[in-house]
Amino acid sequence: MADVQVLEPDLGFIREIGALGGAELKKCYQCATCSVACAIAPDNKPFPRKEMIAASWGLKDKLIGNADIWLCHNCGDCSTRCPRTAKPADVLAAVRAYAVSEYAAPKAVAQAVNDPKKLPLLLAVPAVIFIVVGLITGLLDFTPEGDRIVHAHFFSTWLVDMVMIPAAIWAAAIFALSIKRFLGDIHDNAVREGKTDKKNIDPKEFIMSLVRIIPTIMTHNRFNDCTENKKRSTTHMMVLFSFIGLFIVTNCFFVAIYILQIHGPYSQINPIKWLANISGVCLVVGSILMLKNRLNKEDQTSAYKDWALIGLALALGLTGMLTEITRLANWAFISYALYFIHLMFVFSLFAYLPFTKLAHLVYRTVAIAYAEYSGRGFKIG
Amino acid sequence: MTEDNETTPAAGGSILVVGGGISGLTAAIEAAEVGYEVFLVEKEASLGGRVAQLNKYFPKLCPPTCGLEINYRRIKDNPNIKVLTLTEVEKVDGSPGAYEVTLKIKPRYVEDNTTGYDELIESLQTELPNDHDFGMSTTKGLYVPHDMAFPYKYVVSPDILRTGDAKKIKDALPEGAVDLDAQPKSMKINVGAVIWATGWTPYDATKIDNLGFGQYDNIITNMMMERYASSNGPTRGKIIRPSDRKEPESIAFVQCAGSRDENHLPYCSYICCMASLKQATYIREQYPEAKIYIFYIDLRTPGQRYEKFYKQIKEDENIFFIKGKVAEVSEDPATRNITVVAENAVTGEKIHQTVELVVLATGMQPTAKDNPLPVNLKTDENGFIVNDLDKGGMFAVGCANKPLDVVSSNQNATGMALRAIQTLVNR
Repeated sequence: MADVQVLEPDLGFIREIGALGGAELKKCYQCATCSVACAIAPDNKPFPRKEMIAASWGLKDKLIGNADIWLCHNCGDCSTRCPRTAKPADVLAAVRAYAVSEYAAPKAVAQAVNDPKKLPLLLAVPAVIFIVVGLITGLLDFTPEGDRIVHAHFFSTWLVDMVMIPAAIWAAAIFALSIKRFLGDIHDNAVREGKTDKKNIDPKEFIMSLVRIIPTIMTHNRFNDCTENKKRSTTHMMVLFSFIGLFIVTNCFFVAIYILQIHGPYSQINPIKWLANISGVCLVVGSILMLKNRLNKEDQTSAYKDWALIGLALALGLTGMLTEITRLANWAFISYALYFIHLMFVFSLFAYLPFTKLAHLVYRTVAIAYAEYSGRGFKIG
Repeated sequence: MTEDNETTPAAGGSILVVGGGISGLTAAIEAAEVGYEVFLVEKEASLGGRVAQLNKYFPKLCPPTCGLEINYRRIKDNPNIKVLTLTEVEKVDGSPGAYEVTLKIKPRYVEDNTTGYDELIESLQTELPNDHDFGMSTTKGLYVPHDMAFPYKYVVSPDILRTGDAKKIKDALPEGAVDLDAQPKSMKINVGAVIWATGWTPYDATKIDNLGFGQYDNIITNMMMERYASSNGPTRGKIIRPSDRKEPESIAFVQCAGSRDENHLPYCSYICCMASLKQATYIREQYPEAKIYIFYIDLRTPGQRYEKFYKQIKEDENIFFIKGKVAEVSEDPATRNITVVAENAVTGEKIHQTVELVVLATGMQPTAKDNPLPVNLKTDENGFIVNDLDKGGMFAVGCANKPLDVVSSNQNATGMALRAIQTLVNR
């Protein structure tokens, strides 16, 4: 009895996983159907069977620093095949949400993001900041002049960037700190569980891996390996690309305003405007389709974290598009009000990003890059 | 014993046993040997049920002929038992102690107890799938149900009545021994208690869409394996693989195929682990060099005797146990070999095992599930009859009641025979 391992189940963790959508966890009887059903689990130490037993035993440390939970794309093939309806896909999603909260700081924000009761408070934060900063600086004008609607006359672009840029920096800083810990943990976990023969993380090689996996992410190749919920890959791609489109648009207009000194509103025949409009429509349609998928799915658990993210994407798209439409319709008051609300959601997107489900864009990317780096047998391309 | 008795006894002190498998036989014989009149009805042309399809019993590995023949002998010796084959229950009226049961008896078309029509049978044209061999062999339109049939008598398949074979049979058999125009008959009997021994049906493996049955030839079920291994089976006892009749050098057993699975049968069928261990011995006997892989979630070999059997099999160096359920299969079109995929949950490695033959250990579904009984009995969500002992009068035995092995079925049937007698006596 040389290797006595004392398991220390974290009961709070098990409860938390249940609350985050993994409530069927304890039905699992370890038949390992899920590991075979998963089209993307590697042959060596496949997932999610081992994650299911670790979760039901409350072995938090084996899970949150485990890159495999992020290799999962939540397609649900495992849940469909599961003979016990233990829903491994939902359990992994819950573990991921837990991991996001665990790595992000400050903890109070992480808790608020996962608590529906705190939603009004979270949305009040940008409103208060806008009004306070706006009134102090005089960059918020409640009686904008002119017979044409110019949103910048109401809510100065200076004010927008004075708030949004720090919010973006805040998110980037939190991610930087979280990812540093995360990367160390997933490497330790991989070494401990024999998932890699790499001794340490070589920064240069890791970056190379990161570059190599970008096409896989962009084309959703692994997501497309799913059989059960293939169409979810399409809607996800729509939403991802609309965000990328809007990111490009924002950067172009940033250059236009501050460098070229060209102020909006911009002409509808401007190609950047086309990109903006197409992306906006895609965002709305994509998030409505996501919503529909989730509402129609009976074998998938949807927790608050899932509704919150789809809600945010839809709110961003809708308020953005409606702001533009009401501007063109010349409904000044409604258009200004919608713009204000739209900016509240934009702020929420930046400021709460490292704490929400949307943080998967960073964690999953890093995890896939690490899988590529460490030789995990996770196919790319 | 009388066969196809058409007289209607008046007594309400009789017992009806529905189903002539091992549970029904036992219940009928036990009650009759106490002195009660018993009607034993069977929808097929012969008694024997699922046991007649087996090669050997576990764990003693003796052939089912012994058990069946002893029971057939007891029936022959006991005038209290009236056997009605090709008979189904159409209606049951009344209450505990006084039931009026309407039976429907299908014609056998021939009444000739002798065998010896081999030449005639040889000359018949139509080949019919043999259900006793799960369609792996064929029979002619005039046949004896199987080697362990009781009564050991010919029957004509209704499928050939409109073919030239019918005329050949009519011409060859003596006058009065054949009536191809015979119609089903109705019959009423009065009984005090009814024992439902309607048994089980193998779960339809084609429904388990990830395990390739019906899609790839070299994937068979455990009951098909019993037929292959039986000396009276389609290959006269030789285990082969279907695609090319090759002697398999590697075999995988897939445990819990469609069992303990919310998508199929949510319960454990109790016998499949022991059945696969037993079938491993069939293979070892015929092909000592063959490699056998048993994929399981956990092996259920309840009780001391079964546990001992498992331990014995575990010693075998050519039998490998892998803890992990097979969830994917594929076929190499060139070799027709099958690759099964499972995660070995002990080592955490995904295994892709290529074998020449795959046996799906499918479970049992109560026959009454898809063929509802003409009575309103309480069943559980899976179709097993739940016995209402307070009400009495009607009882389910054997696998109509729950998944059981042969030994437990017999114990259960004996107990329920006593319950049936109590219903009669209390009246």
